[in-house]
Amino acid sequence: MSTSTAAPPRRGRPGRRRWTPFLYILPGFAIYAVFVLWPIVDTLRYSFFAWDGFTAPVFNGVQNYVDLLQDPLFHIALRNSLVFILFYSILPIVLGLILTMLLVRRRIFGLVVFRAGLFVPYILSMVVVGVVWRWIYNPSFGPLNQLLRAVGLDLLARPWLGDFTWALPAVGFVGMWVQYGFCMVLFIAGAQRIDETLYVAAKIDGAGETQQLWNITLPGLRGEISVALVTTLIAALRVFDLIFVTTRGGPGNQTTVVAMLIYDNAFVLNRAGYAAAIAVVLTLIILAISYAVLAVRMRYMSQED
Amino acid sequence: MKRNISAVALVAILLSLVLSACAVPAAAPTVDGGQEVDAQGGETTLLVWDIWTREADSQVVDQLDQEFEAANPGVKIDRVVKSFDDMKATAQLALSTPEGPDVAQINQGESDMVALVRAGLLADLTDYAAQYAWADRWDPSLVLRNSVKPDGSAYGEGSLYGMAPTAEFVGVFYNKDKFAAAGIEVPKTFAEFEAALAKLKEAGETPIAFGDLDGWPAIHTFSEAQGVFLGEEDPAYLDDFIYARGNVGFDNPANLKAAQKLVEWVDAGYFTPDFLGVAMDDAFQQFSAGDAAMFLTGSWVSGDLAAGPNADKMGFFLMPGSTEGARKPVVAGTSTAYTIRAGSEKKDLAAKYIDWMMSDRAMELFAGTGLVPVKGLPADKVAEGTLFADLIAAWDQVRSTNSIGHYLDWATPTFYNTITASLQELLGKQITPEEFIAKNQADYDAWLVEKGVKQ
Repeated sequence: MSTSTAAPPRRGRPGRRRWTPFLYILPGFAIYAVFVLWPIVDTLRYSFFAWDGFTAPVFNGVQNYVDLLQDPLFHIALRNSLVFILFYSILPIVLGLILTMLLVRRRIFGLVVFRAGLFVPYILSMVVVGVVWRWIYNPSFGPLNQLLRAVGLDLLARPWLGDFTWALPAVGFVGMWVQYGFCMVLFIAGAQRIDETLYVAAKIDGAGETQQLWNITLPGLRGEISVALVTTLIAALRVFDLIFVTTRGGPGNQTTVVAMLIYDNAFVLNRAGYAAAIAVVLTLIILAISYAVLAVRMRYMSQED
Repeated sequence: MKRNISAVALVAILLSLVLSACAVPAAAPTVDGGQEVDAQGGETTLLVWDIWTREADSQVVDQLDQEFEAANPGVKIDRVVKSFDDMKATAQLALSTPEGPDVAQINQGESDMVALVRAGLLADLTDYAAQYAWADRWDPSLVLRNSVKPDGSAYGEGSLYGMAPTAEFVGVFYNKDKFAAAGIEVPKTFAEFEAALAKLKEAGETPIAFGDLDGWPAIHTFSEAQGVFLGEEDPAYLDDFIYARGNVGFDNPANLKAAQKLVEWVDAGYFTPDFLGVAMDDAFQQFSAGDAAMFLTGSWVSGDLAAGPNADKMGFFLMPGSTEGARKPVVAGTSTAYTIRAGSEKKDLAAKYIDWMMSDRAMELFAGTGLVPVKGLPADKVAEGTLFADLIAAWDQVRSTNSIGHYLDWATPTFYNTITASLQELLGKQITPEEFIAKNQADYDAWLVEKGVKQ
């Protein structure tokens, strides 16, 4: 079909030729526009309406946003989402770095198997992960509590997902378990790219392992770390599936996150307009954080030059 | 504005295409007939969306469909089975298109049936109810919970919008062996019930299998205690509360006593240990496997219990009131209601179909799969001493004492979230019974203001 539009370019006005490439992306762009761009614009529009999803939307200006700022649940969800940044982003990056140190530039028997095994959590479906961990955390027959009781740590055994203090860290830990594999693979790829002669030179100059880490490996991974940071931050802020499968936001509202609020308002409470407003705010937060990370990275890069 | 409408329509069409592709076509006899609208004339196809997903139930409906077709020559039933959640998500779009289902099973309550009525998508069944004398089959309170004011402004009054063939009610499942071993009879008063709890606990049993990780099971646990105290103080309270008539709130003495009672039971260790971390399914397994004496939940689990390892030891009773035979509300209702699409051109046929699903024949077939017919069942059709016999007897008791209560989460659009979260906090000792009452009262007050019932 598209071949018909790709007639041999004639010598004509230059503008015509410049537009030809856009014709090629048109089919893909049309799908993208209908299924991604248009819904985004529409979400923004609905965020200014009171709409139950059934009857005609009624324009109510910024009322949704005003309500949102005063919604105590939104504050709780935002706080929980920030805690998730620790588990989804910071800890996986640290863990990924440690594993990279252990797995790169070392001869370990069965290294490929280790690497593949450590990456497996990341490629599992989040719903599967949630169901499995719900079982692991089961208070009576879950392996975690059984293990704790078997070694005499009965005091530590608790209904993890139903404990008001521990539910959030427990779910967060699952997030960490899923995310670190991604960071690790990213860092390993990056570390293998670092010129080996740098390490040789450093060793000749008498640098120890730690000095090599701080002065060669980490600076060499700066690009990968910022990519990992942006990706995992976004994942942290939009986490939904894991919460939905494990706790549904409970106990109380201890593990409610922003994406959960969007779901509840849009599909359970029939407040589509309000849900749209939350979605817009969440998008803005994600954009701001991503931009901040990239801005810091840009500054570093320009310093290097 | 025009552009908006066409854009919405476009997405609606796209969505309905995608979503209808997800629907599971039942083993309906659409193949042999060939085309949907017959060229010979006279053949009509009735499109029915239902949520009878359980194998045994689905077979019953297929059977009923075939009998309906046989009794009505030229009529073809095109049946589509959907899960409860799928129906909830797709019904609104489907009902607003001319190709939508003529008959659909819609959940009662504010966020489904009432919202659809408000949007003008459901047909008023009041005239059909008179024509087919449905009132004879249904208790008045069941009619009310399927009634909405035609403008959607009030629930529990106005016109009839749905009918459902089977009943659901919350009560106490118990293990007969455990009761016998502890020397306990089925309690006739609430005091006897509490004495049984203490006795079972003393005997080293888990008195009540309970898991509240999912949030909603505690609503039923609370309702069971609430019913006892409401029976003492204000039996009409739940109707006023659910239908938001503005004369009652959540902050009444019975609710406070119920909340205090639950905390008392938590402290006494009457529930499954660490219940806040236990899923409903696990609590069910615990009881079904014979590891707990009682299980407070709805009649809908009876089929699974009857298929479980201890089926012959299972019994059921309604939570007793403070005095023997005291009238008290029992959380109960019907299955999801059959409704008719407002834009359907086959409303008369659709009503005839619904009437067939409410017929004695349908009741009998549904009873065969372990579901309790709304009309009850003659004693000679029930095997004595079975769990099903207990359920039929309990439903007769509910109907004869006219004590059908309500699911509390129907109260306001947000009440499900509010009460599940606050019950977890209450039972987890994060808040006091007084704070629990205040939280739910705040939700309820906001709703009354939104509805304009209260300033």
